[in-house]
Amino acid sequence: MAVFMDLNLVFSADRSHLQSMIETAAHLGFSTVAVNYVFEPSTKKKQEIPSPVPISELIGQLPVVQGRSRPIRVLNRLTVVISDVSHFRPTAPEYRCFDLLAVQPTTEKLFHAACMLYDIDIICITVTEKLPFFFKRAPIYGAIDRGLVFEISYAAAIRDSTMRRYTIANALCLMESCKGKNVILSSAAVKALELRGPYDITNLGQLFGLSDSDSKESVSWTCRSVLLHAETRKTASGVLHTMKIQQEAPQDSAADGDASAAKRSKPT
Amino acid sequence: MCADLSWTNRTLLVCDRSSFLDHKNRVSSQVEQLHFTYKVSLLLPGCSSTPSYLDSVLKSFTSFYLIRKLPIYELLDKDFLKRAVYQGAVYGLSFRTRMDEDNCVALMPNGHLVLSLDKDSFEVLGFEGKPSRFNHRWVVSVDLTDRSMAPGGRGYLKLLTGLKSRLQLQTDFLLSHHPGGGASLQPLLSRYDWSEHKPEVSRRCLNDLTCPSPRSCDPHSLLEWLGAVDADVSSENSSSSFLSSLVCPEADSRLRHALSVCVSGLLLPDHLLRLIQELRYHLQQPQLESWVSLTVHGFTDSPVSWGDGQQRVSNGGHTFYSLMMFHDHTYHLYRSPGTPHTGPP
Repeated sequence: MAVFMDLNLVFSADRSHLQSMIETAAHLGFSTVAVNYVFEPSTKKKQEIPSPVPISELIGQLPVVQGRSRPIRVLNRLTVVISDVSHFRPTAPEYRCFDLLAVQPTTEKLFHAACMLYDIDIICITVTEKLPFFFKRAPIYGAIDRGLVFEISYAAAIRDSTMRRYTIANALCLMESCKGKNVILSSAAVKALELRGPYDITNLGQLFGLSDSDSKESVSWTCRSVLLHAETRKTASGVLHTMKIQQEAPQDSAADGDASAAKRSKPT
Repeated sequence: MCADLSWTNRTLLVCDRSSFLDHKNRVSSQVEQLHFTYKVSLLLPGCSSTPSYLDSVLKSFTSFYLIRKLPIYELLDKDFLKRAVYQGAVYGLSFRTRMDEDNCVALMPNGHLVLSLDKDSFEVLGFEGKPSRFNHRWVVSVDLTDRSMAPGGRGYLKLLTGLKSRLQLQTDFLLSHHPGGGASLQPLLSRYDWSEHKPEVSRRCLNDLTCPSPRSCDPHSLLEWLGAVDADVSSENSSSSFLSSLVCPEADSRLRHALSVCVSGLLLPDHLLRLIQELRYHLQQPQLESWVSLTVHGFTDSPVSWGDGQQRVSNGGHTFYSLMMFHDHTYHLYRSPGTPHTGPP
């Protein structure tokens, strides 16, 4: 469904806070949101990757999206802020519990690695400071070919005027290189007041240099592609899906049924 | 490093000036092209109450039906096709379905069934369709009067199976008919939860209204002023009010009374043509003011806009036009075709 999605609501330990954010998102018309756990590893201290709280514990009754009859869908997402190669471990089992995986590279080398090598869904573009590096076409097109998307968040722009300048400048820089393809706009909202409606974000996208249709897609169609990409990341070429069956003898078995929604790894 | 300005949306306002006495005038063709009208707003300067002939026309608008949760395959029912669709008397539109999020359905009087579907629904339905220019949607447009879609035919069975077992499309549906065709809809209505509605008429009397001269005023400002009057926005621009700083452009005269009438519901081109006739008759009556304005709003979430053309979402003003009629049978027709790619119809 080409429905509206906001794939970045920052997780907070306060349940009522998160609940009000999800209710606001449903009221604004978003059909799917993702609760984002930001993880910033440092080489000095060993930190544990946060494990996602199950949605049923977070919020009891999911609110119905305004204007539709279905409740809002809530997903879990992990964003790893990487400043060193060792920060992102591709085979870490903790990553499996999350529906979406994102990285925020802070150097050019890491950006290149994220675009070409890492098995992720979203690459976050920093909006709170001046871009530490310039975007090159090669890694960006490499990422687009693999089905990755670039994310620009707008909540920082709402909070502070300096951040607003950085957001717009960084976004324009990105659009020059990627020509508006595979971009999503999301909120990175910390409180419910920082959320904006999907049509407002579409207009904001035009300010960032996206065309009219690209801007609409960045809130709907591209987000749908990200979700399908994330689903296929857990499968073998998007066709086979394995499930651990609880049995007395400890063994895994592969189930052939339950092929995920996309049969192609890159949805068109 | 500025945003590329060639991507900015440009709007185009087309103003058509002609006379009703000219047999090539485009008013009736324009009205007939917009099949589904949601609202008509009239501004009658110099009137404090609705004239009786106008009132009787407004009362004569046929009622329309709202069917809740109608499975769309019912529109392919043999009996319904024979009694209603083939007679060319039925208008139908899915209700409360948003063009950019849900699947929308329109049934036109010429027997065309138009489904505007998102990608997943289109792939599940399994019927031929074309990708829409806008918004990653697919449009399935079927001519129900065509021989290939005759009941029992291959195309008919394919679409019926698709809608019945694969896609199971079900929406609230607005249905209307040409005068006298009401009985043909009864068998369909009796099977589902339906309600009958009459177009709602609301009237507002305005006092001391400053108005511009419609002939000489710039079209953009004139339309803005008309919109402000219709939306009940004050154009006083008093220093104590911060709500609106709109003022009447090129203020020409001050009217003691004016009447704003608004009719909303599912209105058909036939209703509008009769209304325009009555307004022309009204203008011939001896009175102070020599003009009348009529604004037609189409449905924003309809899969079709002009004729069989596709609707572009949130474009502002695509299925919308204004008609200024004058005492001497001349008119100004304002419309705003949407995309830069498609010209005015």
